[in-house]
Amino acid sequence: MSALSAVVYREAKIRATNFTFIFWDLFFPLLYMLVFGVGVNSALGAPTGIGNVSYHEFFLAGILAMASFAIASNTSWSFFLDRDNGIFYEMLTYPMSRSEYLLGRVIFNVLIAVAQGALTLAVGRGLLGIRVQWPKLPLLLAGMAIGTAGWFFFYAIFALRIRRNDIFNSITSVFYFVFMFASSMFYPLEPLPVWLRRAALLNPITWEIDWLRYTSIGIGNFHLVLLEGAAFLIFSLACFAYAVRCLQQQE
Amino acid sequence: MSEFALEVENLVKVYTSRGKAPIRAIDAISFRVPSGIIFGLLGPNGAGKSTLLRMLSTLTRPTEGTAKVLGCDVVKRPIEVRKRISSVIQATAVELFLSVKDNLLTYARFQGLDKVTAARRADALIEGFQLGPQVDRKVQDLSGGFRRRVQVAKVFMVNTPVLFLDEFSTGMDPILKRQVMNLLRTEVEKGRTIILTTQILSEAEELCDDFLIINRGKQIARGDLNTLKLLSQGVYEITLAFDHLPENIQAEIAALSPIRFTIEANTIDLALKIEESRVMEVVSALSRNRHVLRVEVRGASLEDIFVELTTREGKELT
Repeated sequence: MSALSAVVYREAKIRATNFTFIFWDLFFPLLYMLVFGVGVNSALGAPTGIGNVSYHEFFLAGILAMASFAIASNTSWSFFLDRDNGIFYEMLTYPMSRSEYLLGRVIFNVLIAVAQGALTLAVGRGLLGIRVQWPKLPLLLAGMAIGTAGWFFFYAIFALRIRRNDIFNSITSVFYFVFMFASSMFYPLEPLPVWLRRAALLNPITWEIDWLRYTSIGIGNFHLVLLEGAAFLIFSLACFAYAVRCLQQQE
Repeated sequence: MSEFALEVENLVKVYTSRGKAPIRAIDAISFRVPSGIIFGLLGPNGAGKSTLLRMLSTLTRPTEGTAKVLGCDVVKRPIEVRKRISSVIQATAVELFLSVKDNLLTYARFQGLDKVTAARRADALIEGFQLGPQVDRKVQDLSGGFRRRVQVAKVFMVNTPVLFLDEFSTGMDPILKRQVMNLLRTEVEKGRTIILTTQILSEAEELCDDFLIINRGKQIARGDLNTLKLLSQGVYEITLAFDHLPENIQAEIAALSPIRFTIEANTIDLALKIEESRVMEVVSALSRNRHVLRVEVRGASLEDIFVELTTREGKELT
């Protein structure tokens, strides 16, 4: 436990010394909601086929998922920084297991994601009148936490297996495009071509978004959302197990 | 707890990568290191020193064989091993975004040190390593030498019984290096075991109680300085200072096939492997009809032994 808290302490110390980073992490989804969301809402109006919800409301879950995705990607990128200055290898000789190291790396960032989610919901309710289902808030925040951790473990696999950060950056750019656009982040799946809808349904970020959408504004099929939540949890655990294995193979 | 700080048995590390021949970085090395000494792990570049340290500090898994730190197997009980060691790896490993003091305190936290003790030790080390003016600066704003100080200072924050130092003095000025060497001696007197690699053989000669010399992953010599000198019998160092450097001296020395030689101003310094009875003959030949200011003949230094042993191709000496 003390090893885990030491990794969290280190992450917090490093992040606390960079206020721009913290500011961006906390306010990035808000800016997305207030600029992109308002723009689309004004120009295109409510999305079709999902009942009486505004684009602001529809897009809220997408913003939260995008934020957890971005935090996870940024956190995993720091492996390269640590590897370049040697501290990565030194830390692997500290008295802790590889899984404690990985969990510690993500815990502080999960806290940031949860704070960010709460802030985004509050501002969305206050400024844009989004009808948030407050009783489901704990489930939503749990979704943010597991979402951030799951994507971090996923990205960590690539960050640990790839030695060159330019290759890693290219891969994450492809992931951004594929995962975000082949999903229910920006638009509902029903009007999409069959091939894109099928791709989106296999996309873990769709599973996360559907969970967040159901727990934030109550849109979605409860049974399907439950299934998707379970699938995302399994995806996260599998990524965690494989990331630990990759960490054990660091030489 | 084992009486040995390290027990290594037939340790092998093979690196494999797709489309390339496997590299046998460590090839069946066995040795034991008793507790409470400074153990020098020496070898030329690419000999496998860092690979060996990486296996002993649980960073890399051996391909074959066993290694134990204070009785704990590095593969079976890695966390127990990590609780007993501190490492200064070859690269300058520091937290760039943290201040000097936070680097020390964060490290202490990882090692489970309580806050009061950590703060007290950090203050003492900041003074000892002359880091006072930099204490609140982020390490990314410091020069390479100061970063190295922070890295080395960290291992003195804790009392882990075994200390791995890979090229610890890189980037240190001579005064600080001397202080750190004294500090290392004090730590050994307290019972800690220090395993160090260095390219500076005079440093190793001064510090280490026992040596292992490896080359191309193989063990080529083991023992204290006297034992190594016996392995390298017949190596002599000759220093001659002239009033002015004789012409053709370089060719004359080269004809003797020295293990090494240097010429600085009017002084030549060479190491030769010859019979004892021939030493004075060589000195006379080099001095003949020349005005010699100083003559010194010494037994082999660690550097001579090292050069002699590592250049003997394929001969197992131990």
